[in-house]
Amino acid sequence: MPDSGYPWPISTTRLDNGLRVVVSEDRTAPAVAVNLWYDVGSRHEPAGQTGFAHLFEHLMFEGSTHVAKTEHMKLVQGAGGSLNATTNPDRTNYFETVPAEHLELALWLEADRMGGLVPALTQETLDNQRDVVKNERRQRYENVPYGDAWLRLLPLLYPPGHPYHHATIGSMADLNAADLATFQAFHRTYYAPNNAVLTVVGDTTVDEVVSLAERYFGGIPPRPDIPPAPDGRVVPATGVPAEETVVTEVPAPRVYVAHRTHPFGSPGYDVVTVLATVLGSGRGSRLYQRLADGERIAQPDLVGAYGVDLAHAPAPLIATATARPGVSGERLAAGLAEVVDELVTVPVTAAELDRAKALLTTAWWRQMSTVDGRADALSRYATQFGDPATVSERLPAWLAVTAEEIAEVAADTLAADDRATLTYLPEEKL
Amino acid sequence: MSASSERPSVTLIADRPGPGAARPYRFPQVVRRTVAGGDVVAAHLPGQNLAVAMLLLDAGAGREPVGREGLGGVLAKALEEGTTQRDATAYALAIEALGTELVTGLDWDTFQASVQVPVGRLGAAVELLAEAVRTPRLDPDDVRRVRDDEVTALRMDWANPGPRADAALRADLFGAGNRWGRPMYGDPDSVAGLDVEDVTVFHSEWFIRPGTLVVAGDLDRLDLDALAATAFTGTGGGPVDRGVPIDVPVRAERRIILVDRPGSVQSTLRLGHPGPHRAHPDHVPIALAGTVLGGAFTSRLNHLIREVRGYTYGIRGDFASSRRFGRFAVSSGVQTAVTAPALVEAVGEIARTQAGGVTEDELAVARSWRAGQLSVELQSPRAIAGALSTLVVHDLPDDYHARLREELLGAQVAQVSAAAATHLRPESLTLVVEGDAAVIRDELVATGLGELIDHPPAG
Repeated sequence: MPDSGYPWPISTTRLDNGLRVVVSEDRTAPAVAVNLWYDVGSRHEPAGQTGFAHLFEHLMFEGSTHVAKTEHMKLVQGAGGSLNATTNPDRTNYFETVPAEHLELALWLEADRMGGLVPALTQETLDNQRDVVKNERRQRYENVPYGDAWLRLLPLLYPPGHPYHHATIGSMADLNAADLATFQAFHRTYYAPNNAVLTVVGDTTVDEVVSLAERYFGGIPPRPDIPPAPDGRVVPATGVPAEETVVTEVPAPRVYVAHRTHPFGSPGYDVVTVLATVLGSGRGSRLYQRLADGERIAQPDLVGAYGVDLAHAPAPLIATATARPGVSGERLAAGLAEVVDELVTVPVTAAELDRAKALLTTAWWRQMSTVDGRADALSRYATQFGDPATVSERLPAWLAVTAEEIAEVAADTLAADDRATLTYLPEEKL
Repeated sequence: MSASSERPSVTLIADRPGPGAARPYRFPQVVRRTVAGGDVVAAHLPGQNLAVAMLLLDAGAGREPVGREGLGGVLAKALEEGTTQRDATAYALAIEALGTELVTGLDWDTFQASVQVPVGRLGAAVELLAEAVRTPRLDPDDVRRVRDDEVTALRMDWANPGPRADAALRADLFGAGNRWGRPMYGDPDSVAGLDVEDVTVFHSEWFIRPGTLVVAGDLDRLDLDALAATAFTGTGGGPVDRGVPIDVPVRAERRIILVDRPGSVQSTLRLGHPGPHRAHPDHVPIALAGTVLGGAFTSRLNHLIREVRGYTYGIRGDFASSRRFGRFAVSSGVQTAVTAPALVEAVGEIARTQAGGVTEDELAVARSWRAGQLSVELQSPRAIAGALSTLVVHDLPDDYHARLREELLGAQVAQVSAAAATHLRPESLTLVVEGDAAVIRDELVATGLGELIDHPPAG
C-alpha cells in the first residue's frame, strides 16, 4: 500500500488579500498547469436564478479590463495552451495548461478577469452567451435520449430549497430572465481572492509563482462578507421511495437507482467510492455479472454505478442499467434494485475488494499522470478541506476500506424506502 | 473593515507580459526493437507510476469486406468472452484485479488493444492482453450473443443525433459501394448480418500476425524483451500490402442532404468533401488551414457561428486523413430556427477561406497552438502511446514530433493560404442536415446552396 497518493512537493502561501497560492513543482515536461477554483457553484443560486453560476462562467471568457472580447481564448491558444472551465453544484473552476514560458501570461489573464470583469461586461455579451448556454442545454440535455436524467434525479434526491435540488445548467425561464445587474453583483460577491484557490503545477518554482501571484493578484482587494450557500448537510430521510417514470422517445427502457450517501471527503464517502466500484465498474462488477452476463436483462455497455463527488451535502450514488430487447422496464428495475439491496446482505469478498482497489489505484494515478490533473486535485483539496496536502490521503483511505465497512454503509444509506428510482420507457408505437 | 458598501479599489497590471525563455522541446526517448518476429516501439517515461502497453494490428476497418462493416467491433467484444485458458468471468476478474480493463479500439488503419496499469503490473497485464487477442475462445453461442448486443448498442447510438448524418455524408463523399464509403463501425443492419464464421475467419486472418507492441512507461522498471516475447508468442504470417492511396472523385456541384428527425430542437450539421490522404506532402499546411478555419476555439467558424451569432454551443471543422484517403468536414448542432442562416454562413466562411487564405495574425495563433499542444497534451502514458502509434501506422521516424514542431512553427502565410486554396472545395461540399424536415425543408431549399435530396428514412 502506498503511504501517499501525492509523491510531489506541495507549497501553500496565502497572500494578504486571502488568495491561497498552491505550487507543486515538477520539471519532467516543459509545461505548467494553472488552475483556479472559486468557491461558488449552483448551490449558491437562489430560486429564480438557476443556471447563473454556469452562465457566469461563460462570461469570464468574454473580456475584462485589459483583455478584449474573445482575446482570452486567442491568447492562451496562441501561446500553445489548452484551456477550459467547468461549473458544478459545489464550485466553478478555470484552468489552462501552457508551455512553461507562458506562465506569466496565464496568471495575468486570470488576475484580470478576477479583478476586472465587471467594467467589461456588456448587455450584448450577456445576450450572446445566454444564447450559447441555451444551445448547450439543447445539445446536451434536450436533444439526446435520456439526456435529462440528471435534471430529473436531483429533485428526487434533494427537497425544494436544498442547494442540490436544481441542476447547474438551470432552467430556460431563469436564463431568459437574467439581467446584467444581477451578473455584475454576482461577480462582486463571489469572485474575490479570498474566495479562490490558485494552483500551479509543473515546470516552475514556488518563488516564481508566489512572486508573480503577488504582482498580478496582489492589487485585488478581498471581500469581507461573502454569503454562504444554504446548509444542505442534513437531508431528512422521507421513508418513502421517490419514483418517476418518463414515457418518451427513447430506444429502450432505462432505469436509474439513486441514493444520498455521504459528502465527498468523508470516511463514509471513501467507502461509497469503493462500494460503487464493486457494484458497477467493469465486467467483473456485480451489476455486469448479474444483469448483463448472468440474467442477461441489461445491455452490457450501458450498465454501471458511480458516486458523484459533491462535498457539501450527502453525495449521490447512482446505479443504472438499460434493458436488452424484450425486457420490460419493470423487470429491469427489479433486477437493479435486487443487486443494490444485496450490498447489505451478501458480503463483499476479498477478490471483489481487491479488484475494486486495483481499478481505483489505476484511476488515481491516471489523474496524477498530468500536471493539469494534479492541479485540479490540489485546488479541490485546498478549497474543500482547507489543505491541499490532504490530497495524499485519498488513495490510502480507499485502500483501507474493508468489506465490513461496505456492508455497514450500505445498510445505512441504501435502504429501499429511501431510494430514488427514475425509469425511462419508450413511447408505444402506433 | 470599511463600513462603506463600495468595494475598495482594484489595482490590476495593465501590460500583458511577454513569454519567458522558451524551454527546449523534448519528446520522450524512443526505443525500437524487433523481438520474436514482431516490432516493439517504446517511450521512456522516467519516474512515471503508470504504464501503457498497446498492441497494434494491421486489422483496421479498412480490412473488413464490403457488407461486413462492424466485424472488427464484434470481434473486439468477443475477445473478452473467454479464452482457451479461462471463461469470461474468470478473465474479467483476472485482468481487473491488475487494475485495468482490456481497452480495444478500431480506426481505418489499425485495430488496437491496450492495458494501463501501475508499472510493476505491466508484465502480467500484457500476458492477459495477448491471451485474449491471440487465443480467444470464440464459442459460437457467445459470438452470436455479442453480435446481437452490438446490434442493440448500435441501435441505441443511432437514436442519437449524429450517426445517421455522419453515414449520409460518408456515403455521399466516398460511395456506399466502397468499404470506406460506409460507417467505420458499421450500422445496425450490417452487424445483424454477420455470422460466426465471419468473425472466426477475420480473427485467423488478421489477429495472429505479430503486429507492433507499443509501450509507454518507465523503461528502467520494464523488460521490453519479455513483454514482446509475451505479445508475439505463437504468432505468424508477415506484413501485408497496405494498399495505395485511393483516388476519390470530387463532386461537380454542391448538394444538400436532408435527414429527417421529427421534433428535433436542434439541427445537426455535417458538411464535407474528400481531402488528401495522410502522407500528402501538404499535410502540415493543410492542418494549419483547417485550424484557422475550424480547429481552435478562436477559429473563423466558431467565432462567427457561436460567438457572434449565438446559433450553437460549438462548431468545428478539420481535415482528417488515414493511410488511403481523407476528408474535410465541419460539424455542429444549431438551434432549429436558425438552421438555414447557420448553413449559409458556414459555407460562406469556407468559401472565404478558400478564396482569401489566412492572415498572419490567425496563422500565428494556429501555429503556436498546434506546436504548443505537443508539450501540453503529450503527458500521460496513454497520450504518449497514442503518439507512438502515429509513428508506427504512418512509418514516421523517432524525431517526428520534434520535426513536426519545427514545421508548424516555420509555416508561412503563403504556404497555408495555398493549401486552403487547393484543398478546400466549397463548390463541391455535401451539406448534410439532420433535423425536423417539416420545419426546415423549405428554408433549406430557399438558401439556393444546392439541390436538396431527402435521405431515405431509417429502418
